[in-house]
Amino acid sequence: MSSPESAHRWIRLIEPACTSCMICARECPSWCISIASHTQPVESLPAGARDRTLNVLDHFAIDWSRCMYCGICVEECPYDALEWAGEPTQAASTSDALVEEMVQPPS
Amino acid sequence: MLCAWLLLDGPHYRGSMRWVDWYGDGSLFVLDVALACCALEFDAASPTPTAPADLDDQAQVAVVVSGTVTDRLAPAVAAIVDGCQQLSGRRPIVISFGACASSGGPYWDSYAVTKGIDQLLAVDAYVPGCPPPPEALSAVLDQITGRVPS
Amino acid sequence: MIEVAPKDWITAVNGLRVDGFEYFDWLGCVDEIGRRECFRIVLVVRNLAEGAEPRMVSCPLPRTDPRIDSVRGVYAGAAWHEREAAELFGVEFMGGERRRLLLNSEFEGTPLRKDEVLAARTGMDWPGAKEPGETEPSPSRRRMVPPGVPDPAVWGDRAAMQPGADPAEVAESAVGGRVRRRRT
Repeated sequence: MSSPESAHRWIRLIEPACTSCMICARECPSWCISIASHTQPVESLPAGARDRTLNVLDHFAIDWSRCMYCGICVEECPYDALEWAGEPTQAASTSDALVEEMVQPPS
Repeated sequence: MLCAWLLLDGPHYRGSMRWVDWYGDGSLFVLDVALACCALEFDAASPTPTAPADLDDQAQVAVVVSGTVTDRLAPAVAAIVDGCQQLSGRRPIVISFGACASSGGPYWDSYAVTKGIDQLLAVDAYVPGCPPPPEALSAVLDQITGRVPS
Repeated sequence: MIEVAPKDWITAVNGLRVDGFEYFDWLGCVDEIGRRECFRIVLVVRNLAEGAEPRMVSCPLPRTDPRIDSVRGVYAGAAWHEREAAELFGVEFMGGERRRLLLNSEFEGTPLRKDEVLAARTGMDWPGAKEPGETEPSPSRRRMVPPGVPDPAVWGDRAAMQPGADPAEVAESAVGGRVRRRRT
């Protein structure tokens, strides 16, 4: 749960919880969430199990120049992968710099 | 010393502008183009307005666009910045305050909204938020005038 | 709400003023496409002597030829409301002011008509068009369409292959309604 002070200031992605379901990107009224993912086979399945795939999140960005901090994405995420962060979003000297990529590059 | 009461004799309007002496020492004068809700956050961030101060030749000058710019109003906003440039003799710092001024914000898809003031002007800083909190404006002015490292 | 025919509009509005409804509240326009093929001009006036009691009167105009008498001679305040309805819906107010109120002089179109598509949304790629597990949206027939953008079968590239959509279909499709097109 987020405290009142942190709400509507900045949104943070909890990457391990995201399943790339696309619901936040679809619900966003400003179209400011951009997501890309790919499927990958699940490894180490028990013997005799059917092949399974899972979604791997490659790219999750919010364009802060368009975000209106309505919180619909935070509310709609079925996996609670988005939360209000404490600090207000940082200003930038170009509008491109306001597009924040939230997926950590693979190490 | 230049008189701060500015009569802009543009083709569409005539008005007088009020400068805010932001740090109280004549080093930075800020003009708010108060268009929508973000203007309330500007007012919350702004020091108490006093009688209009003289615009010192050494002072920095900043124009803050607070709110949604419609296509109809866009030329007037550009004219204000041009007018500030003529008045102060130098290009003012231009701050896009809030989502609407930065990209059209939640109204980016409107038939009547300019998708960001950078369609008309060079912008020095974009402050995201809908609206940004008042401290975001204070912080960006502190950074852009070199009072804190950015 | 009292409904009045276009030919009786100015008489009815004059009558309201004479009856004591001297305060002009607002005049608006509603596009009733999908329910009734008309633009409905709605006028609300008030009787300040009777506790601001409102009276609402409306007039349906055919969408193909929306013309109505201007009431700015009865209520001067109606002039600006009529200018707004004229530029946003394409309604002609006979005897009214012709100048634009809110839109740029170069603006083309009547944006508040429900069959007028929001160009910015159709022009931009919707981030939600991708399916989970996709890097690029695939041109699937079952791809989701966002609100505000009509179904491609009704309006847009693919519509060129089929008989033209009528305005009601475009309007219904753009709000997310599923338009079932008969194969002719």
